[in-house]
Amino acid sequence: MRQTFYEALLLIAAAIILGFAYTYATKQGFFAKTQPAPAVALANIDMISLDQARGAFESRQSVFVDARHEFDFLAGHIQGAVNIPLKMYGTLQSRLGGVAKDKLLIVYCDGAECNSSIELSIKLLESGFTNVKVFFGGWQEWKSAGLPTEQ
Amino acid sequence: MHIGIFKNYDMKSIPSNSIVVLLARIFLGGLFVVASLDKITDPQAFANAILQYKVVGPTFAMLTATILPSLELLCGLSLIIGLYPRGCALLLTVMLVGFTILVASALFRGLDISCGCFTQDPNASKINLQKILENCGLIILSVWLLFNKNQGSSLLQLFTKRQDNSV
Repeated sequence: MRQTFYEALLLIAAAIILGFAYTYATKQGFFAKTQPAPAVALANIDMISLDQARGAFESRQSVFVDARHEFDFLAGHIQGAVNIPLKMYGTLQSRLGGVAKDKLLIVYCDGAECNSSIELSIKLLESGFTNVKVFFGGWQEWKSAGLPTEQ
Repeated sequence: MHIGIFKNYDMKSIPSNSIVVLLARIFLGGLFVVASLDKITDPQAFANAILQYKVVGPTFAMLTATILPSLELLCGLSLIIGLYPRGCALLLTVMLVGFTILVASALFRGLDISCGCFTQDPNASKINLQKILENCGLIILSVWLLFNKNQGSSLLQLFTKRQDNSV
């Protein structure tokens, strides 16, 4: 039986090495990098600053939409934000089912280096929402400013 | 009797149980190899699937999503070719028991989530009692492989033997 445990430990060690080596080589998982925002999309979407985002948050007249993966969302997000990961928009757009189409939606992702907020904004506009803006500083800027967050 | 890869191997020298064990290993190993592929290609989606069970935090989910698919792949392949079959069977048993407890607890808590077992598609079929029964069947199979005195024919040995015979 001891031999069996050694075999199992060897396989676990190999799996750890393989798993981290693979995700490092493919820049996935812990080693994932966000893509820079495309200039074309930037030109067509309304961007708002941190101050504007804070003003909208305090006025409570807007809905914040978090475009990041659920994994990141659960680790921390802007207080009251709705999570709609870009890849799951088709499935999860119902989370905005009760929101009026002319309501101000503020979409954000991790920060200035991600573009999922822009892509999600395009999808929201295509779905009929008329007042969509992107908070381009995103989660990182909001968190650094010490503004209300939740997990 | 000579079949395929066994054509240069005297099948009469293999007890019938060896073939049954070999087929069981190929079935179980193949299942885990297939299950690992979708997880390996998108660890982030697999981490999300783990988070849906609401048992672990994001960091542990990502750690699991990094290591578990590789472990499934390695165990599956090793079991198929007969390398460390007992060690593989032990790990597969532990994994299957863990998965089953996880699915059962999710059902108990009323979570309406997809399994994340073979596909990371959020639209995949939801977890249900059938999943638990399937897992129980696989657990029985892996425990049988773990404690079976006859570990079946090693494909590596068969190929080696075939080469020896052909010399």
